[in-house]
Amino acid sequence: MIYRETGTFITSYLEDRKLFPIPFDKWAMAVFMLFMVFVVPFIASDYWLAAHLIPILAYGTAALGLNLLTGMTGQLSLGTAGFMCFGAFFTFNIMLRSPEWMNLPLAMILAGSVTGVIGIIFGLPSIRIKGFYLLVSTLAAQYFALWFFRSYPYFLNYATATVTLPDHHFDLFGIGETFNVDMASFEAKYLLSLGIVTALALFAKNLMRSATGRNFMAVRDMDIAASVIGIPVIRTKMLAFFVSCFYCGVGGALFCYAYLQVLGIRTFEMNRSFEILFMAIIGGLGSIAGSFYGTVLVYEFPILFSWAGDYIFGGAFDTAVVDNVAKIMYGILIIALLIREPGGLAALWATAKQKLRTWPFPH
Amino acid sequence: MSTGNPILQIDNITLAFGGVTALNGISFDVAEGEICAVIGPNGAGKSSMLNVINGVYVPQEGRVVFKGQDCTKMRPRQIAQLGMARTFQNIGLFQGMTVLENILTGRCMKIRSTWLEQGLNIGRARREEVENRRAVEEVIEFLHLQGIRKTPVGKLPYGLQKRVELARALVAEPIMLLQDEPMTGMNLEEKKDMSCYALEINREYGTTIVLIEHDMSVVMDISDHVVVLDYGAKIGDGTPDEVKNNQDVIDAYLGVTH
Ligand SMILES: Nc1ncnc2c1ncn2[C@@H]1O[C@H](COP(=O)(O)OP(=O)(O)O)[C@@H](O)[C@H]1O
Ligand SMILES: [Mg+2]
Repeated sequence: MIYRETGTFITSYLEDRKLFPIPFDKWAMAVFMLFMVFVVPFIASDYWLAAHLIPILAYGTAALGLNLLTGMTGQLSLGTAGFMCFGAFFTFNIMLRSPEWMNLPLAMILAGSVTGVIGIIFGLPSIRIKGFYLLVSTLAAQYFALWFFRSYPYFLNYATATVTLPDHHFDLFGIGETFNVDMASFEAKYLLSLGIVTALALFAKNLMRSATGRNFMAVRDMDIAASVIGIPVIRTKMLAFFVSCFYCGVGGALFCYAYLQVLGIRTFEMNRSFEILFMAIIGGLGSIAGSFYGTVLVYEFPILFSWAGDYIFGGAFDTAVVDNVAKIMYGILIIALLIREPGGLAALWATAKQKLRTWPFPH
Repeated sequence: MSTGNPILQIDNITLAFGGVTALNGISFDVAEGEICAVIGPNGAGKSSMLNVINGVYVPQEGRVVFKGQDCTKMRPRQIAQLGMARTFQNIGLFQGMTVLENILTGRCMKIRSTWLEQGLNIGRARREEVENRRAVEEVIEFLHLQGIRKTPVGKLPYGLQKRVELARALVAEPIMLLQDEPMTGMNLEEKKDMSCYALEINREYGTTIVLIEHDMSVVMDISDHVVVLDYGAKIGDGTPDEVKNNQDVIDAYLGVTH
């Protein structure tokens, strides 16, 4: 019995509402976070930080944002990359056009808030329409974002295709100069992303275990009953759009600043919206942690498959063929997973934990 | 329990869906503190009546006056804020949530903290969460739902789901409770429990109850006042004894379906 919750007695309502009611979970999480903060930056190579950990954090933020809207509140969206685009461009412009004291986290919060307001505007149709029809409105957000930034080159500072994001944008309160550390190094970018993601995930977790989160889920499950018990359905939907698009906006900013290091419109084409939708679905709609499991799977598996394909068949077949077969295999795996467990990885994990809890004596 | 003052006045309500007239010029009063049963055969318009009372449907004609306020055109949420709670015929629980979460949603109108405070889990938000939990626990105890707090409602048997739904309505501390067929599909034991709960809620908290019920023995037992609907028209209105001896009611309802 490795994993145990016996011996844990709930003595107060506050305790029952804890983030980690089971001590084992709490300690596991603490160890994991300490490892991520104090060990990973020192042992991970630049390649691991730049090509794996940072993109996973950036994607994860957007997937979490989408999950708050689609998984928690039941409002479908295909506009994720569009909202990321707003967030990234606004962050860049705030950094570019503000006085010295402006810093990246604050700029992301401001840009995220503006993105949230844009999200509310494109979410307005959700007052009257549901389900698949809402996809049209969020699709409009996706195309509007691309059109808008193509039409107004001002926001890209009149660059032709992409802007390389300047290193001095990463400085935080002069820490870099004072302590003579490189704030634009991959380690620093990774830690910045990790800090933002942790804060956002914690905020989402708190929100979901309080009245607002319950209102989200109530609207998702049955909006008539929600309004009858006094939940402001329209306001709840609008809030969900705001919070979700805030997260997507910050995700977009991280995507450009921490991962790609350049800002460009083509980063946020339609296929990125789909990619993030897959992450949320595979991870488990309605699960905060699931958003990150899904991100890891969707991001890493194609890499893993094509690497394995290359390794096994590399000499014998054309790389393009191997790559395509790897993609098909990956697709089949995803379908199989979703047939077996429609709740995604988060549900799979919950079942595994349930089994582990009673192992080795299931009765 | 009744004081005799009407708390709810239904005045000449007409409601039609396309060609179907679900309610045809219905008027009746519900007195403060009474248990009022609405009976009638299937399709008589009982559920539609409740939907008009709490604002889910807006009638073509007539007025609904609750606590002296005309609430005919109010949204369901506004009427809930006046102190009306309800349960649904086909169970209106949030299927993706646990029993505890479902019941906690019933406290949504008591929340004063903003979403930012809740997300940061500070001060007022934390305090409210504990206060609401305390109120919820009282109702959980009252309705004997202790063992299933963390169970997803979808996994519960029908009878228990109905009880959870009642709990969600009660935690709002309503002045008036509307129950749409709370006992249909239950066995004798469960029916008895549900009737006792209705009586207890009425006596302990002075909550006025309007309930739809088919089982005549239950109706005769617990209600102070019975309204009989048939094909969208009111054919009886009075004490259980009066209604029992009303020839129209015997012909149209009691005689035919039983
Ligand atoms: N939303 C609706 N749309 C169309 N017709 C409805 C609707 N709700 C109820 N009706 C009709 O109104 C009549 C009364 O229904 P209802 O109020 O559900 O009856 P009861 O609850 O007494 O069985 C029925 O003929 C039903 O088909
Ligand atoms: Mg009915």
